[in-house]
Amino acid sequence: MLYNNTMPKRRKWFSLLAAGAVAFLLPGCGRQAKSGPTEIVYWTGWSGFELELQHKMVDEFNRTHPNIHVRILSVFNATGDNQKVHIAMAGGDTPDVCSAVWTNELAGYAMRGALSPLDDFLKASGRRPDEFVPGAWDMLQYHGHTWGLVGTLTANFIVYNKDSFEQKGLRPPTNLAEWEAVNTALTERTPGGSYKAYGMRPSSLMDWAYVFGGHWYEPKTGKVTATDPGNVRALKFLQDFAKKNDIRRMEVFESTFGSNQTPSGPFFTGKQSMQATGPWIEQFIERYAPKNFRYGWFPYPAPPDGRPLCTTLNSSCFVIPAASKHKKEAWTFLNWFLSPKQNEQFCLGIDNGSPLKAVAASPALQKDPLLKYSALIAGGKNAFGPPQMPIWPTYLAEIQRAEDKATHSGGDPYTLLLAVQKKVEKALRDAQREAVY
Amino acid sequence: MLDTDTPRAGASPAARIPNPPVKRKGQGNMARRNLRNGLLFASPWIVGFVCFTLYPLVASMYYSLCAFSGLNHPVFIGLENYRQIISDELFTKSLGNTMYMVIVGLPLSLIAALALAMLLNQKVRGISVYRTIYYLPSLVPAVASAILWMWLLNPEIGLINRLLAPAFAAFHSAPPAWLGDPHWAKPALVMMGVWGAGGSVIIYLAGLQDVPTSLYEAADLDGATAWAKFRNVTVPMISPIIFFNLIMGIIGTFQYFTQAFVMTQGGPQDATMFYALRLFNSAFIDWKMGYASAMAWILFAITLVCTIVVMKTSGRWVYYGGGDE
Repeated sequence: MLYNNTMPKRRKWFSLLAAGAVAFLLPGCGRQAKSGPTEIVYWTGWSGFELELQHKMVDEFNRTHPNIHVRILSVFNATGDNQKVHIAMAGGDTPDVCSAVWTNELAGYAMRGALSPLDDFLKASGRRPDEFVPGAWDMLQYHGHTWGLVGTLTANFIVYNKDSFEQKGLRPPTNLAEWEAVNTALTERTPGGSYKAYGMRPSSLMDWAYVFGGHWYEPKTGKVTATDPGNVRALKFLQDFAKKNDIRRMEVFESTFGSNQTPSGPFFTGKQSMQATGPWIEQFIERYAPKNFRYGWFPYPAPPDGRPLCTTLNSSCFVIPAASKHKKEAWTFLNWFLSPKQNEQFCLGIDNGSPLKAVAASPALQKDPLLKYSALIAGGKNAFGPPQMPIWPTYLAEIQRAEDKATHSGGDPYTLLLAVQKKVEKALRDAQREAVY
Repeated sequence: MLDTDTPRAGASPAARIPNPPVKRKGQGNMARRNLRNGLLFASPWIVGFVCFTLYPLVASMYYSLCAFSGLNHPVFIGLENYRQIISDELFTKSLGNTMYMVIVGLPLSLIAALALAMLLNQKVRGISVYRTIYYLPSLVPAVASAILWMWLLNPEIGLINRLLAPAFAAFHSAPPAWLGDPHWAKPALVMMGVWGAGGSVIIYLAGLQDVPTSLYEAADLDGATAWAKFRNVTVPMISPIIFFNLIMGIIGTFQYFTQAFVMTQGGPQDATMFYALRLFNSAFIDWKMGYASAMAWILFAITLVCTIVVMKTSGRWVYYGGGDE
């Protein structure tokens, strides 16, 4: 429009204001309709070299699928929480596909109707449950539907520093009693009682409970089982360890540690000789450990009445939100990304195990000893994923609180777990008021 | 345009008496236009206020009466959330921790800021350099300063314990574990708060420079000591500034969050589980937005009551040079 000198001042102002408003608002009017490929938005929770690999794979997908264009966006959060995803789900303005959801959170989203069930897509694409490792498949089920797929599956076990063990003439323990003896032998303290080095501090009651034969929830009956005798025994073990080893001094020592995934991490600096971890540690050893760092591994040590070769499973999981505008295209991408060929590329690239039986057993993964070991444990009968319950993150926080109290302030383990049981039962009843599924 | 209310030159005295205002057709239109234009120009603020302040306030009030995860429709449950909050042991614990910061941390921070401001009000060489140095910590982002303090407070390798160790060794004991010890975690955060009090220092400094020197001269003539001058001249004259810092401090401290979120996540043993952190966890870990909204309203009520109490007592100790207001 040409500037009109005769235009009254007021109208000029309004024109300017209107033009400004249009210029401001137009770009926010959503995705413009294009005649080209359908664009889908993919949010990932990975970062660093893991994200770089995903970028490469997305580029490959875009090259080989001319009708779909995937736009990848990292929503990595250093605290490990996925608040952005939760807020997006709440606002109904979600990506089309998202891998920034923990299997912990899956049932919570599913129960509230925030996700699309994948059953029809899986059936139409000929994907079968027996393609997947049982532990991986089970943790994706809630209320009779499959709600997501995992791209990786890794077991937790204990990695140890071979040099530290050999210097003290130690061998990898095969049960809990042997582990306690090894841990004591690896511990070095000053005359004042401060720690100079140690084996490891057992923590995470959630994990150890399974090792002691416990469990936290029965999906079939919907029963919370916090006071299971195995859980109580595990808490007693952690409490006794804390008392015997002066947990406060141990924590002071731990506060001097750098992050595990850096060169100043305790495992790489020799302050810690054992670490509960997974096969991904290999990547970090290659990058950050001193030259000629020698390491070995063994499973969580079990007591005589516990579970041998026991592990817990958790992974970030790929979902299609209910609010996705392009579910079909999202599934095409997801199905491609989790096809055996691409899954092998992804798992090898980030040193993670695979949820697909064929890939886990493939020569490429089996030739890596840590991945082979991880696949063995993750595929075993003592591998436990997050229980299929909608408030598992809340339950976990309460378990952690009980552990904290037991190890620092004392208290009877059964009584502490009974308090957890009551609290979680109530929280579960409350949450079910919102149940869509 | 001819203005009928303006007396014309050469008119008779009677004619100069102003006519009573007559409402003309065009005037009403102009008032409406002015109102419309005014509202249009103010509309960005009005829209912003309605959408981003008023609506969330009203909505959170409603959600506080609902079971609501944010993911689907809220289910009305009356006062159930409030009942649950009151019976939750973590509510009591988090409120207690927050009150500790308000009752212990805030006064210490205000006193330290005032003391620092008085030092920085001295006429010494290079005072502007000192002022800049002491103000610098306020410019450090909260997360960056939290990380910095995590290193400083490290029980083994932290600078603070390195300095304290010889003194403690003399008594055959060890310095505190700070953030690792439930008894020392809050004092550590208070110490950190004092370090970042530069913002209050600047406000105090402005107030101190506004105190008339004639009052100090008069006090000197009366033989007043430094303490008497401080107590009877400085404090009354800057009492509105103290009052302002106190009110803003109360409001800010009740919302204490970032440092605890970054440094301790509420630990050890919930010793730093502050109210705002508990509220955040309820919303984003437990997905209980209704419960968190109820917590927010309770916090609002507590903050309001504290602020009103302080304001009611202010008449007794705040001196306004221009009058009571």
